[in-house]
This record gives sequence, C-alpha cells and structure tokens, in this order.
Amino acid sequence: MAGSGDAHLRDPGAFDDVVLRVENLVQEFPAGGTVGRLAGRRAVVHAVSDVSLDVRRGETLGVVGESGCGKSTTARAIVQMPRPTSGRVLLGPGTDDEVDLAATGGSALREVRPRLQMIFQDPISSLNPRRSVRDIVGEGLAVWSSASDGPHQEARVDEVLRAVGIDPAVAATRRAHQFSGGQCQRISIARAVVLDPEVLICDEPVSALDVSVQAQILNLLEDMKDRYGLTLVFISHDLSVVRNVSDRVAVMYLGKLCEVGDADAIYERPAHPYTRALLASAPEPAPSVDPSEAAVGDEVPSPIDPPSGCRFRTRCPRAVERCAVEEPVLRAVGDDHHVACHFPSLWPSS
Amino acid sequence: MTEQLPPDRHPRQQRDAHLHVQDIESQTSVQGGYEAMLGGLSFDDSRGRRLGVTFWCAIGWMGLVLVAAVAAPWLPLADPDQTGFGGRLDPPSGDAWFGTDGNGRDVFSRTVWGARISLVVGFVAIVMGMAFGGTLGILAGYFRGTVDRLASFLMFALLAFPGLVLALLFIASLGPSLTVVSLTLGILAIAPVGRLARAATLLYAEREFVQAARVLGAGHGRIIVRELLPNVLVPMSGLALLGMAITVVAEGGLAFLGLSVADGFSWGKLIVMGAAPRTLRDGPWVAMFPIGAMFLTVLALNYAGDRLRWYLDVRELAFER
Amino acid sequence: MSATPSPSGPVGPLLSVRDLGVTFRTPDGDVRAVDGVSFDLAEGRTLGIVGESGSGKSVTAKALMNLLPSYADVEGTITFDGRDVRALATARERHFWGVELTMVFQDPMTSLNPVKRIGEQIAECLRVHLGRSRRDASAAALDLLERVGIPEPRKRLRQYPHELSGGLRQRVVIAMALACGPRLLIADEPTTALDVTVQKHILDLLDDLRRERGMSMVLITHDLGVVKGRADDVMVMYGGRTMEHAASGPLFTAMRHPYTSALLETIPRIDAAAHARLVPIAGRPPNPSELGPWCPFAPRCGSRVEACTVEAPPLVDDGTGHRSACFAPLGAGEA
Repeated sequence: MAGSGDAHLRDPGAFDDVVLRVENLVQEFPAGGTVGRLAGRRAVVHAVSDVSLDVRRGETLGVVGESGCGKSTTARAIVQMPRPTSGRVLLGPGTDDEVDLAATGGSALREVRPRLQMIFQDPISSLNPRRSVRDIVGEGLAVWSSASDGPHQEARVDEVLRAVGIDPAVAATRRAHQFSGGQCQRISIARAVVLDPEVLICDEPVSALDVSVQAQILNLLEDMKDRYGLTLVFISHDLSVVRNVSDRVAVMYLGKLCEVGDADAIYERPAHPYTRALLASAPEPAPSVDPSEAAVGDEVPSPIDPPSGCRFRTRCPRAVERCAVEEPVLRAVGDDHHVACHFPSLWPSS
Repeated sequence: MTEQLPPDRHPRQQRDAHLHVQDIESQTSVQGGYEAMLGGLSFDDSRGRRLGVTFWCAIGWMGLVLVAAVAAPWLPLADPDQTGFGGRLDPPSGDAWFGTDGNGRDVFSRTVWGARISLVVGFVAIVMGMAFGGTLGILAGYFRGTVDRLASFLMFALLAFPGLVLALLFIASLGPSLTVVSLTLGILAIAPVGRLARAATLLYAEREFVQAARVLGAGHGRIIVRELLPNVLVPMSGLALLGMAITVVAEGGLAFLGLSVADGFSWGKLIVMGAAPRTLRDGPWVAMFPIGAMFLTVLALNYAGDRLRWYLDVRELAFER
Repeated sequence: MSATPSPSGPVGPLLSVRDLGVTFRTPDGDVRAVDGVSFDLAEGRTLGIVGESGSGKSVTAKALMNLLPSYADVEGTITFDGRDVRALATARERHFWGVELTMVFQDPMTSLNPVKRIGEQIAECLRVHLGRSRRDASAAALDLLERVGIPEPRKRLRQYPHELSGGLRQRVVIAMALACGPRLLIADEPTTALDVTVQKHILDLLDDLRRERGMSMVLITHDLGVVKGRADDVMVMYGGRTMEHAASGPLFTAMRHPYTSALLETIPRIDAAAHARLVPIAGRPPNPSELGPWCPFAPRCGSRVEACTVEAPPLVDDGTGHRSACFAPLGAGEA
C-alpha cells in the first residue's frame, strides 16, 4: 500500500466547498533514547509519510487504522501540535480566507485556531480538574472577546451546554470530577463548538467510553453537525463507529494512506487487501469480505524502518516482488474510490 | 436541544436520549436510596473525604502561635528583655508560667516573642522559594527545551552547593540580619520547590486540557496562569507548609552556629541559650519551652501540609474503564 | 438465591460458583462490587462474561483466581472439581492456582517480567510448578511458543518482552498460562489492548487450544461481539449482578433482559448505512458505590416497573437453563 499521491483530492475547480485540505503531510520524530543519540545514530520515526486529505463543508471524513498507523499523529499535525515536518494544511483553500496553518506562526496562527477545533480521546484528562464547567466551556470566548461581553458570553455558554444535553443551571459551577466519562465528553464538545469552528477534529472520541454510552455521544455529534454546520474529521480504530459517522473514509497503515473514498464504496467494495483484512477481522465481519481474509500476520513493521515499496507488503497475501520495489500510488478504481495497491480487488462498477 | 430521536423509533426506548439533570429530577418519586442513586447518575458529589480533627488541631495551634506572635506587643506580657522579672532560674509558677531564665527574664514572654522571628524567617524563606522556584519550575516544565535545560542546570547547581557553606558565606559576609538570614534560607528553598513545580508542570502540560486551550487559541501566559497554575499550586501548597517547617528548624540550626539574627531572638536562639550546661541542669525549662513550641509548630506544619495535599488531590477517576 | 443449574451439559460442573459476593472496604466506605453471582461451568466449555466498567466482571475473575486485595471481603463458595478452593490452606494446595486454574490479563506486561528473557519466564513456570529439569523446561518452552503461533520461536526464547509486539506478547502470556496444562483458563479482556487484526487471531488461538486440550474457559469482555459465536454460554453482568445467563444462541436471539437487548441495539453495526441513527441507552453505568438493593439497571431501563426500584429482581430460570433477573422480561407479554 504505501500510498502516496493525491489522485483522491477533489479538484478545487469542481468543488468550491472544500474547507480543509491537507497536502503531502509528513511527520517525523527523532527516535530512540539517549543511547542511540550518543552512539551517533539518528534514527527517525516515520509517523506520517506524505498523506493528503480533503474535506468538504458538512462532510464527515472518517480516518481509520490500527495503533501506530499515524491517524492520531495526522490529527495533531493538522492542528499544529506539534507542527508537521513538511506539507501544507490549508483552511478554506481557494477562498479569500485561505490559510496554510503549517506556514503560519505566532499570533497569526492563534487567530485562525478558532476555525479548527479538536476533541480528544480521554474525557477526564480533557477537562481541567480545577476549573468549573462554565469556565471550561467559556474559555474560547474569554480568550477572544473583551470583558464587556460578559452577559452575552454567559448566554452563549448556557446555549451550548444545553445543546450537548447538560443543564447549565445545575452543572455550570461544578468541576469535571463530578461528571461521568460521557458527560465529560459532552462538555468537551461544548467547549469545542462554542467558537463556531468550521472543522471539528475528533480523535477517538468514544474509545474511552463504556459501550452503553458511546451511542449517546455519536448521536450527539451528528446533532451538533446539523445544528452548528460542522465539518468533521473523525479518527477511530473502530470500523463500525467510522461506518456510522462517515461520508468518506480514509484507511491508513503505517503512516500512509491505503484507500480513500466514499464510505459506501470502502465498506461495500473494499479494494485494498489491508482494508479487506480490517473488515474481515471485526468481531462481526463485514458482509463484503470473506472472514478468511483476516489472515494477515501479527507483526507490524517498525515505523523507524518501514518496508520499501508498499508498506503493507510484509503482511499482504498478494505481495509480489514488484511491491517491494515500486510504491503504489493512489489511483481511482471507481467513482470517488481510490486505492494505493498494485493488485486491488476490482468490483464490477455499478 | 434534547430529543431528536423520532418517537417510537424503538418501543423500549421511550426515554430521552440524553438523560440529564432535569429528566432525573422530574422523575416520579421513588424510594429514598434509589433516588440517591438517580442523583448519582448525574453527579458524583460524594467527596467522602474529611480533613479530620487532627488537622483542625494542627491549624488551631498554628493560628494560636501566629496570633500570639503578631499581637505580642499588645498582649499583657512581661517585657521579654526585662531582667529581674523574677528570680534567677525560677521554676514555672503562676506568675511566670514557663519560669524564668538565668537573668530572671520571663521565659513565656520570650517564647512568644521568639515566635515572631522564627515565623518571619520561615515565611519569607518559603515565599521566596515559591516565587522564584515555582516560576522557574513552571517555565521549565511548560516550555521544555532550552528553558528547561537552563533552569534545571541552575537548580542542580543550587542543590549541589552545600547549604551550610552557602549560609556561612552569606551571613558571614553580609552580617546576621533578619533579612540576610531569611533570604539565605529562601535561596536554599528555590531548588526543591522548583523541582517539584517542574515535575508537576510536566505532568499537567501533557494533559489534553492544556492542548485544548492551545487549540482554542490561548496564549502561553494564559495557559500557564489559567490551566497550569491552579493545578501546580496544589502540590506546592503542601510543600510550602513542609518547607516552612524545615526552615524553622534550619534557623534553629544556624542559631547553634551563632549565625542567627543578631538583634532579637528566635526560638532557635532561645534554645541555644537555654542549652548552656549549667542552665540546662538548674533550669531545664528555659530550653524545654521553646523546644516544645518549635516541636509542636513543626509537627503541625508537617501534618497540615501532608493532609492538605491529600485533601486537594481531587479524585479524577469519576469513572473507570 | 437457590443453586440454579446453569445451562451447561449433563456432565457435572468443573467450576461451580454460588452466591459470590465481594465487598471492598475502602476509606470512603464499603463498595459492593459483586453481589450474588452463581454459575456452573462444565468441562470443555466456554463461558463468556460480558459487562461494562463497574459491572463486577473482572472482580469476579480475580475472586476465582484468589487475586483480590486484602481489603476485599469475599462471600460465597467457589468449587473447582469438587474442592472448595477458598478453603485451600497449605502452600502445596495453593499450587492449584497457576497449574489447574490460570489467567490471561488484558495487558500482557502484567504477567511478564520486563527484565527476564521469554524462555526463562516460561521455563520457570514449568520448573516451579511441575518440577521439570532445566533442559526439559527449555524444550517444553520452545514447543509452547511454536504451538501459540509465534514465528521464529527459537529466537524469541532469547528475547525480552519489550522486543515483542503486543500481539506476540499476548501469545507468550498464553503460552505461559498453558505451560502447566490448566483445566480452566480465565481470559480477562485478552484482546482489548490489541489491534483488531490481531484480536481475531488471539481469540481463534484461545479457542483452538481450548478444544485441543479439552480445557474450560472463562472469557471476560466488554464486547458482546467477542463472545458471539465463541462462547457456549454467556453471562451478562451489570452493577455487580448477573442480568442474564443463557446458552449463546438464545441469549443473542431470544434475550429476556432489557439490558442485553439495549446493549446489542446500541452498538453501531458495520453493515448498517452511514448516519443510521443509533439507539442510545440513557444515563451511564453506576459506580459501585451507588448500588443498593434495587435493580442496578432500573434508572436506565425502558421497561422499568415500580418494583424494580425497591428490590432487585431474582435471577429466575425459565426451565431451559435460560436465567434472567427482571420483573418485566422481554417477550413475556407478547407470546
């Protein structure tokens, strides 16, 4: 797989409503401990290698993959925490408001930050244990408006809290440890939407929650999308959750994209052997694949020394010599369906 | 918002998708214990933690010492420097509660007055340690990188320097005034406080709520003051009380070397004076009462500091995985 | 409750648990983590215990393994192969744990010593418990690694746990658990920390090993999908109590407890359409400190009746071995 390329990006001429475009994102970290560095070895973790993505207004892009595939690193690189090694992160590409976050710094970056918000995996850790819910949710307003806005700010905080299903009259003065995980995640969502962002990045927002609470939060995110006109980038390792929320899906493996496209196409006509293995490995395998396709090895190669050519070749049942030599580039296999594989499963176009 | 579920989407799911406070409170009345559980469904208010009687005893003792020290000039006490208030080395009695010393001065009055200098030294030193060490530690922990390397080097240098030598150096060259003694002990407090502040900051700076503040566009100053400081102050407040206890004892140590405040007297100095062999034999109360006052105060500070840290450490595990 | 037979076969049960209760004595008050749990497990069968956080599933497993801390009060009886294991006193008797009854944890590093080579750790189990010689034990360790599907087992024997991926580590832990030929293996969320492509392999491996050795297995998980098709019987726990216990088939197709049903319906399906509205369960799971004599699921339950808030419904067997604890069970009024 090892998919580079940008065939899957939507033509800005044809689609004028792309709100976020990530181009050739690369994120590398120095690897190893002091010993390695003392020995003069400069190993590098290739966490994200040449990933491009775009999202249209009102769309939900699901990014799915296993641990170490770079999906969370991608999310953090988009919000510049930390900044990517290279690549562009364009907010509102092609519009007057176009900003390349990766090329912006200091107060200019701070000023565009409200347009792009994020919610995190750990609901407890996401909230400052020493501040009240009102302070936490109103923080964005407090940063960006003058003191005279007080009453207006309070009304806004109340409105957003009600929208996430928390009663401000009872909850606003309390602190995070008095809430359950699901309620903390609601408060995190309220904090993120209070500034009316264009894009909301959700990094595994339901993974830390109990099964019986997940659906509440997923439904809430859908409601918030409608209510506040949000565009979501939804990162998760859970294929069923991504299926539920996404319009478009990107499958990642070892820092690269495998397959990108319309969610129905990916789930109903998966073309990449890794996507197929993922779908076959789910506790209840997707009907579009044979359960036997889950038989890929357990050994995920190290991102310090990723395989040459296609990064999935070491576990791929279809790998041949060519896969080690030539890196597959993302190419179209259907309407809005792109795959980075030399030997994808092809489906009769319907 | 609340309900956007189409009604009767699922026959068994008649309740609101988001059971929240209002829903709970508007429910039909049920059994007491069960109702309590519904309350628990939304908020976990049960702190279940008490500071305890001992803590309040400790606070009470510290309050008493503080009030006595501050109000000493107005209290109906004998002049602590008045020789011949009683006889030489009179044992404790109704007139002189703690007895008198070798010069016939009232030991009770001297113990109360001695608290003034001991507490000032302890307080100034720890405030200085908190201000400089805390700032240094928070900046190091938040910015990491070069700032951290510089600050850590400074703190290691301070830790590596023998404290007693530093105190001797300063006091011998600048003279044993209250200011010099306090500041010297303050400098010695910077490194331990700084290390703690740095460690606590490192812990919290990794947390998602700090990242969330950055994503909202908050600047460094705001993040440090609003997000980090309230959290870092918790372990630091515990340490401040412990540090004050250590400083009070350290000042006593300096007194034994003849390095404590020249004019006036602290508990340490009173103990030294009472510890002269003949005084100790003929009038042990001269040393014992200042020792008792110092012991109880240090004990109270230690206990209160420890207890406070435990109490303020909010339970964040409202739910477990 | 009465000693209701559980839906296992005609063979006498290998493991029999009666009225198991666990109370933690904490400074903040007593916490009742497990309340009145009873079940039987026959030789060679798999019991899946499903529950969310605070359901008492892991505490139950730890009680079976005698791994609870000293501030936990345990009540009830645990009978393994006719022996009352809570009465085992001598060190020799206690060899029972780790030999006949072993456990695999969620985090493989819980069971592995980070500074010892894999080979030594497995061999140590064999030497301590079975008194094998050093050479015998190493040979057996190699066989075990091969059996649990670890590639290049000879090389792995010389490696340390940190050199292995999460999936391989869990395989090593399984090899260690199998070393002494246990008759019952308790797997507590064995795949929760693993990636989805690895998870299936580990579950399949456990299943193969169980069949091959005629072991019994208790598979504890928060994910109903994990036990579906793998466990013979499934016990659903909530708030420290058993909600429903039945053979796998009826539990998934003719569930009687509203919680089981709600749990199944709230999970997003991989084959559903995008943006399909999910059916949420209101509220959140209770903290063990909030539990009382009422049904723990009552506050979130759509079928709640007045009685649910007064006392917990007893676990009732419908005559076929399908047990459920509900005053208003599903399907009661319909058929």
